[in-house]
Formats: sequence, C-alpha cells, structure tokens
Amino acid sequence: MGYRFELTRSKWLKALLKSRVFQPALMLVTLFFFVVAILAGFFGTPAGSHNFGIIFVWIVWWALLIIVLVPFFGRMWCTICPIPGPGEWLQRRGIIQRTPGRPRSLRWRWPRRLRNIWLQNFGFLAVAIFSTVILTRPGVTAWLLLGMMLLGVTLSIFYENRVFCRYVCPVGGFIGLYSLTSSTELRVKDVQVCREHTTKDCVIGTEHSYGCPWMVFPGNLERNTYCGLCTECLKACPKDNVALNLRPFGTDLLVAKGRSLDEAYKALIMLACALLYSGVLLGPWGWVKDWANMATLPQWAAYAAGFLAINLLVVPGLFWLTTAVARRVGQIQLPVKRLFIDYAYSLVPMGLIGWIAFSFSFVFVNGSYAVSVLSDPFGWGWDLLGTRSVPWTPLLPGLVAALQVALLLVGLVFSSIIAYRIARQHTRTDVQAWHSTLPVSAFLAGVTLVFMRLYLG
Amino acid sequence: MRLMSEKRLDRFRLVEGRGELLAMVALILVVVVLPISVLGYQFVLRPALADVRTIDVMAAAPEAGGFQPDAIRVAAGETVRLRFSVPDVPHGIAIGPGLDLDLGHVDPGQVKEVDVTFPEPGRYTFYCNSWCSPNHWRMRGTIEVYDPQTPEALPASDGPDPVLESLTARGVDIDAPHETPMPPHGRPSAARGVDVVKQMGELPAVLTAPEWRRTLSPAKAWEALVTAGLSQAEAWDAVAYLWLAEMDAERLKRASTLYAKNCAACHGEAGDGQGVAARSLDQHADMNMLEEPVAFNNPSTMLGGSGEIYYAKLRRGGMGTGMPSFGPIFTPDETWMLVDYLWAFVFDLDPNQGP
Repeated sequence: MGYRFELTRSKWLKALLKSRVFQPALMLVTLFFFVVAILAGFFGTPAGSHNFGIIFVWIVWWALLIIVLVPFFGRMWCTICPIPGPGEWLQRRGIIQRTPGRPRSLRWRWPRRLRNIWLQNFGFLAVAIFSTVILTRPGVTAWLLLGMMLLGVTLSIFYENRVFCRYVCPVGGFIGLYSLTSSTELRVKDVQVCREHTTKDCVIGTEHSYGCPWMVFPGNLERNTYCGLCTECLKACPKDNVALNLRPFGTDLLVAKGRSLDEAYKALIMLACALLYSGVLLGPWGWVKDWANMATLPQWAAYAAGFLAINLLVVPGLFWLTTAVARRVGQIQLPVKRLFIDYAYSLVPMGLIGWIAFSFSFVFVNGSYAVSVLSDPFGWGWDLLGTRSVPWTPLLPGLVAALQVALLLVGLVFSSIIAYRIARQHTRTDVQAWHSTLPVSAFLAGVTLVFMRLYLG
Repeated sequence: MRLMSEKRLDRFRLVEGRGELLAMVALILVVVVLPISVLGYQFVLRPALADVRTIDVMAAAPEAGGFQPDAIRVAAGETVRLRFSVPDVPHGIAIGPGLDLDLGHVDPGQVKEVDVTFPEPGRYTFYCNSWCSPNHWRMRGTIEVYDPQTPEALPASDGPDPVLESLTARGVDIDAPHETPMPPHGRPSAARGVDVVKQMGELPAVLTAPEWRRTLSPAKAWEALVTAGLSQAEAWDAVAYLWLAEMDAERLKRASTLYAKNCAACHGEAGDGQGVAARSLDQHADMNMLEEPVAFNNPSTMLGGSGEIYYAKLRRGGMGTGMPSFGPIFTPDETWMLVDYLWAFVFDLDPNQGP
C-alpha cells in the first residue's frame, strides 16, 4: 500500500461525514438546482446560451464534475447527486433519520447478467448518439433529467438499495471508472479488524445507519469504482475502522483484482467518445455536426451507426490489435483477451484528461454565460442579481489550446507509465515490460495526436 | 451505537427528528413550492402586477415557427408592452409602417421590450429586418388595432394605393422588363449634370409636367433631352442631376438605413443584386426566390423603368419573382424615399448631396 493521508483524522470532517444530515442536505441543495434546470428546460427560453438547464448542467456541472470532482474526489458527485434522492427517500421513508427496519421495496433480485456496467456502457452510448441535440436543446435536457429521476424512483420501488446508481446510471458508470485515478479514497484502516468483526454493521446497518446502499463490503474495498462515498459505513462502523484518505493519483489502476471486460470497454468507449465529441463539436466538419444534430433522420441514423461502430468496433478493434502486438513483443503468456482488459486501464488517465481538455474548449469559451444566466435562469428577462446584461466573454482564449496540449502530454505520460506498470505485472523482466509497453504507448501517442489535431486545427 | 450512552442516543434522535422535519419542509419547498412560485410569478403574478398589458412574442426564423403569436389585437389608445425573445438566431425586430419603431438586433436568449400605444384603429406589422434565414422575409406578424367602442369590427382598410390604381388603370405591366434602349457608357454624374442643366436654360416640356420624376423613366427623359440638342453623355448627366436633385442628406441617410435593413440582403449593399440571400440561392431552392434579385446598379435594366413602377413593386411585391411586399411595412413616403435612393446606384451623386 502506497502513501496515504487520512483526511478523517480531522475531527470536524469526521463529524461532518458521520452526521446523517450531511449527505441529504447537500442532495437537497443539488435537487434545488436540478428542479430549476428542469423548469428552465420545459418553460424557459429555447436559446441554450441563456437557459439555466443548458448552461448549468452541460457547462457548470460538467466542468465541476470532470475537471474537479472526479480527478480529485472520485465519486463525490454520487454523494450529492439528487437523482437517486427521491427513490432512496421513498425506500427509507425518511430523508435524514434512520427509519427502523429494512428499507422498503418489492425486493426483486437484480438479474445476475446485469450485475456489471454493460448497461451503463450502452446507456451512455444511447445518450451520446443524441448528445448534440441534448446539449443544445433545453427541453430535451429537461426530459433527460426528469427521465433519469423517474427511472431511479421506479427502480427503487422494485429493487433494494441503489440499483440505479450501481448498474444503470450512464453517468455513474464513467465516474466509477475514472475514480480509479482520483486522489481520494474511502477504505478501511485495518482489513484484519473487518475480518474479525462478525456483525458486519457496514453491510447490514445499525440503529442509526443503513447498510451500504451500493452493495459493497468496505472491508474488501480495493478500488473506488463502486463506492458511492455515501459514508454510511463510516457512520456504521463501531470500530472506527473506516477512513477517507488522500493518495497518489491513479493508485487503483494498478489493482488487478476486479478488472473486467465491461470496465475495459467503458475505458475504450469513453476515450472514443472524447475523440468523437471533439471531432463533431469542435472539428471543421460542419456537415457532421448537422447530421449529429438530426438535420434529417437518415443522416442522423448514418451518424449514429458510425458513432456506434467507432465506439464498439473500430477503437476496440485497433486496441485489440495493439494488445496482440504488445503481447508478442513482450513475450507475455496471458491470453490476448486478458491482456486487452488489463491494458485498457492504461487508457483511463488518457481518457479522463482527454475529456478535461475537450471540456476546456467550451468551459473557458462559454463559461461566462453562467453569470447572466444566474440572473435570468429562464431567459424571461429577469434580473435577479443584476448580472443579466453581463456580456459573453471568452476566458483566456489564447491560452486554452496551450493548456489542452500540456494536459494531453501529461495524459500521454501518465497513461504510458500505467501501461508499463501493468505490463510489469505480467512480465519477468523490465525489458520485456518496456517492449510490451511500446505498442500501447504508440496507440496512446496516436490518440494524443488526434486530440491535438482537433484542438489546434 | 452500542458504545453510545442512552442519554446521548436520545439527544441524537431528537436532533435527527428535527432535522427530518426540516428536510421534509425543504423537500416540499424545492419540489412543490419552487415550481409553483416560479411559474405562478412569471405567468400569473408578473402580468397582473405589470402597469401595462404585456404580450410575449417569440421571434424565431420562419422555418422554426416565425413569430409566435403572429397576430395581436390591441385596442386603440391602449398601451401594450411587446416583449420579444429570440430562441434561435439573431433577428432584427421592427414595427411599421410609420411608427419609427426599430428594436435593433435581438440575439438568441435576449429579451427586448417596447411600450407602444396605437392611437387610431388600423393594421401594423412587426417584422424581422435582419437577414435570418432563406425564408427571412416571411417573418412577419400583424397587430390589429381595433376601436374599443366596436371591438368586433375589423379595422378600416387603408384603401387602394392611388399609384397602383393609376398603373392598373393605364394597363402598365409592372412585372414586365423595362429595358433601357440606349444605356449610358459610363456612370452619369449629377455634379456634371448641374452645369449641363444650367447651360440649357429651359427644360423640355415633359420634364416640367407635375410628378414627372415619378411617372417618367430616365430613358424617356434622356430621349427628350437629346432631342432638345444635348449630346448623349450630357443628356445622361442632366438626367442624373434631375433624378437626384430632391435628395437631401437627411432623406439619403434614412433611405440608406431602410435599404440596408430591408433590401440589401437580396439586392446587395452596393445594389449589385449580390446580397447574402442571392449568393445562397443555389443552396436554398426552397426559398421561393424564382428570379435573381435585380441589380440596381445596372443602367440597362434600371433606367427604362419609372419611379412609380419601382414604387409599385416595392409596395405590392414582384409577382412570381420572390420579391416580398413591403406595403404593410413602409409608409408611402418611406417607399418613395427608397425609390429615390435606388437611382443613386446608377447615378453618381453630387458630393454636396451626400450624407
């Protein structure tokens, strides 16, 4: 185990996380913004640049999520996300207090075949092929948000716990994967204490805490992927054995246990989507944007087919070939499929940084719309804070490209180091590991060049 | 919990219980009260508290629905607040004829409003005066101002336009081409024409008749001047002077603004028929523009027509050409101002006249 700094040594932070008020209070705050976004989508101006739903969901929230929360705090968004709130509160028959007995639901069993993130992979792709429409039309964004919340409520009626978050939410899927890189983790302090503790309060709950709604046993937790940072285990543990730690970036990427094909595909899909979004939304091909924007149904169908093919076949196919070469030159005895899965985790830093770089393009350029939208969230001519007329002002327009290039280079180096360390898990010598890393690094360099070509024009 | 004393547990439950109540209140505020308050304020309270009746108009490109609503009824003497919001692309919003109400550009998401009082019953048009789409000219709405004493009665019609009536009575086909038999070789100059007319002394009879500048084509006037003894070039210079003589700087400026906002998209800022709409004709076969826009700077096609023909085309529109009707937008005087301005595309102005 590498370097750790236990944040919960801080008494006030521990008290905050142990408080039952902490999470619901934040969820209520985000629910407020969520409701405003839905109202703005349904009743506000259709002009996205002046609609709270578009600006605060797809610029402010997205920037907060991908640039700050995921890299530094992992799944912290899941702690405060309002979408599962109503469903969970219905199950628990309360918002804050621990209601006696098990949370209510019809207690159906989630199908074994779906106990993975394939549904989240396909859910993300289903949203992604409509993304140009969703990102620009407030009404569509509102339907998406409302639909997700209704789906969350519906699933919580039939299934126990946060089945929606764990297996269905298309956002939760990639947050979980990218949280492998984050610098924060929730872990037990001493695994032995958990092994010897027979009542497993963190799993079944106590009088003042619920059992883990994410269906995780904290004692076994080695990766961030499926821990929603709800802190119920921290509240439950009578041994004070749960901690929130700071740690080096990317720590979980080297944990071999738990690597799977669904997660590998998630890494590939996210990388491909970052590239495709950059091409469609920022590239010089106006016709592609028109097709993505449903200029006509056949054109959109062609775009969607291409989009899915690149995500599910082309990029994974190229990476499969890369892995096969890496296996041969590194003299690795593992099956190609196993190595394909393992090496896919080296794409996680590149993918996350690619998304951050992509986000810089519109966060810096269009972020200033948030100032006027705060005063006039629905585009009705309100002026709540006196900032309605603040003009659109691109931030640091001359620096964005340089920042993107610097980030991408960091991503390339970071991912290559992870690839090498993954290779080293399967090779006898450093030289073999270097050899095996070369094709993967070449793949990563190719991806970096495509990103740069799109951002630098 | 087992480590927690009963006393502490009771206190804990009390705090949690109060928190639960507060959280329930907060939840109801967010999920129920917030939407009701926002929508109630915007759609019920705000209009009720406004000092004048407010009419919200969404101004979208015609293919996205145009003005919504596109017909408004207002009582004569009633002050209404027209609030325009734009969902798609920048539009220019103006109301006419004769109101001098131009709200300028309205960008997507922007809201602009204007308080208007229509003293007399009648019909007005709100329209887009900034090229916004291939169907830009269709972006119009009507304001019907009714007499509050007889709210059911339709506003009285303005009656037929006397110029159009006169042309129809004389059997003039305003859509027919009006070629210039002997067009000038260079650009006729009003500055040179001043001296020619001064030296000439008395003008031919056709050029002294009332309304001659509107009923006579420059080509006919040129023929009369050549017959009276001027050379061909001198005659064109004299025509340039005579046709532009009544244009002062103020009328030129107003006409130039009207032209830039309403005509230049098709006919070009230089009057060469190469406006942005004309340039995109190939890409927009659906825009109902069956003929290429006329080039006003072409003397061969321009100087054979009379002012009244151009006036009629402006007000009525060009049948089967794609030229929209500007009668509902411009007053007759504004229309004449524009017609006079068109001559400045074929004749060089006297520098002393320029705006």
